[in-house]
Amino acid sequence: MTEFLAQYGFLIVTLVQAGLLGLSLYFPLQAGQLSLASPGFYAVGGYVAAILLTNPAFLGLRESLGNAVFPLSWLAAALICGVLGVVVGVPALRLRGIYLALATIAFVEILRVVSLNLAITGGAVGIFGIPQAFGFQDRWQYIFLFGPLLLLTLLFARQVERSRVGRAFRAIREDELAADAMGVPPTRYKVLAFVIGAVLAGIVGAMSAPFLNTWNAKQGTFDASIAILAFVLIGGSRNIWGPVVGGALLTAVPELLRFLADWRLVINGLVLVVASLYLPQGIVGALQGGRRPAPPRRPPSVPVVVEAKGETP
Amino acid sequence: MKRVALTVTLGLVAAAHAQKVQAPIPIGVALAQTGNVALLGQEQVIGARLAEKYINARGGINGTPIRLIFQDASGDENTAINAFQNLISKSNVVGIVGPTLSQQAFAADPIAERARVPVLGPSNTAKGIPQIGNYVARVSAPVAVVAPNAIRTALRLDPKIKKVAVLYAQNDAFSVSETGTFQETAKAQGLDVVTVQKFQTTDTDFTTQVTSTLNSDADLVIVSGLAADGGNLVKQLRQLGYKGLIVGGNGLNTSNIFPVCQQYCDGVIIAQAYSPAQPSAANQVFVKDYRAQYKKDPPQFAAQAYAGVQVMADALRVIDRRKKLTTWELPALRTELNKQILAGKYNTPLGELRFDKDGEILQKQFYVAQIKMKDAKNGSFVFLK
Repeated sequence: MTEFLAQYGFLIVTLVQAGLLGLSLYFPLQAGQLSLASPGFYAVGGYVAAILLTNPAFLGLRESLGNAVFPLSWLAAALICGVLGVVVGVPALRLRGIYLALATIAFVEILRVVSLNLAITGGAVGIFGIPQAFGFQDRWQYIFLFGPLLLLTLLFARQVERSRVGRAFRAIREDELAADAMGVPPTRYKVLAFVIGAVLAGIVGAMSAPFLNTWNAKQGTFDASIAILAFVLIGGSRNIWGPVVGGALLTAVPELLRFLADWRLVINGLVLVVASLYLPQGIVGALQGGRRPAPPRRPPSVPVVVEAKGETP
Repeated sequence: MKRVALTVTLGLVAAAHAQKVQAPIPIGVALAQTGNVALLGQEQVIGARLAEKYINARGGINGTPIRLIFQDASGDENTAINAFQNLISKSNVVGIVGPTLSQQAFAADPIAERARVPVLGPSNTAKGIPQIGNYVARVSAPVAVVAPNAIRTALRLDPKIKKVAVLYAQNDAFSVSETGTFQETAKAQGLDVVTVQKFQTTDTDFTTQVTSTLNSDADLVIVSGLAADGGNLVKQLRQLGYKGLIVGGNGLNTSNIFPVCQQYCDGVIIAQAYSPAQPSAANQVFVKDYRAQYKKDPPQFAAQAYAGVQVMADALRVIDRRKKLTTWELPALRTELNKQILAGKYNTPLGELRFDKDGEILQKQFYVAQIKMKDAKNGSFVFLK
């Protein structure tokens, strides 16, 4: 058991981390917004934590807070990413579909170039020598941070889906104009979904900076956007378990196939191609029999009206 | 939670204590075999394999052979950490040579440091690598030591040089730290830095940078980038009419740039931490083996990886003389190996080398080479005296 943890601990935590990043993309997607901004917020969150934990300017704060500095770094990352999410979300979410995707990719690129040029982010080398959260000695111990975050996020996602807000998200996803006409303000809900995703990605980044020991501009790139999008698409974009399963699977496959040496990336590519060809609803979608989730129960009067029109055989 | 962590940690320590060192002696090699730095990583893999073959042909560690265990560290941090973790806890290696990039070293070396496994960086040249921990050392001289030699040589070739244009890849950690060194050296030599231009390693069009350079009327151009972008930049500089000397950084230090800039590569000056002409016996054996297999002179990256494996083996040999390696318990041997690596003196293809107390390499000699192209595809690095 201990050897298993020592060897696969890092991988297990990375699986959970990938699932969380997938979920951060899932929230805007729930409101029908194809946003690829998650890696940008992930990078920002990581930088916030890395700067807070290593910069000499915060030495006094670190000494007086002790281990409480770690929760503080998550909070700071969440706040900054939330504000940034609103600032970026309000103008960007006027765009739809592929244009929104392009705008968010541009946002990720701008952040990358900014972090390459600032002194505080360490330029191209990035920030290194980040102290370990709560003095953790082994990588697997980070499951104590990422595990509860995943549980909380899943619970939160479930509650959102069942709430009025979740119904508004779905209404916008299915038909924005109709939703607007029904009195659902699309902009407000779209920005809300976007900000939830941004805050989540920011917290994941803040937890990941000590986990990776170092943080640099390579953490949030266009490649990462595509990888995270693949998590959601392979897993399934209509169910909270989709991004979690997809993220875990796509992170695990290349590592578990290490014994295949160079071939492992080929297999990884094959998984992507086969999954997108044969599982258009993602893996979780396929497990549900390819069905869409059952529509909410209608009031009893509706079928009666339909029947009266003679549209059902 | 604390108690669980404590129990597991104790369990780990106990499990590790029970382990004896296996024969053949496993040495981990975590280099980029895939990904965008594989061009450099592949050269390193070749170097490490040659070292293994040579050491085992000469009887290994006083009769016990070594076995290199390769794990692909690719070009990103996650994969490097996974590779290290695999080597440490699954393959039970005595030490690790790797990873390829400095940025990866900042992520993966602390893993080895916590597990008390000695690491030798074969190509980590950024500032701060040996300071990661007691178990981290490198056989690659930092840019701050190697790069200035190229400028001094350029000044010797053309003493009239006054104005310098500096260009660098802004998104590459190595190029950024190298350009800092180049700029400081230029100023220290009394040169006038007339323009500083940035580009990205993914760029293919350098018209803006080249035009500014030409307008600045520079008589020396210093380029820090990687093979593909740096090569293209040199080509476009020459095509648009730049006639003066060009100094290239270590990222251009591979024959892979010949097909990129073709005949325009001719004359580029590059400082080297290694020269195939190095007269030591260790190097002559290495060059002979390499030439026999690949029909060309070994590049610096192969030589440094070779040196990394050799340093591990030489240190193990000294320990083995005191007490047979297979009678050691693994954690004790790892600690002893680390001590011995730092204490010893080694005759490698890089020449004679030692380490300071941090694990920083103390290398005696550096070289400067100039590219000479035979035709559009074939060329060579000619070493300048």
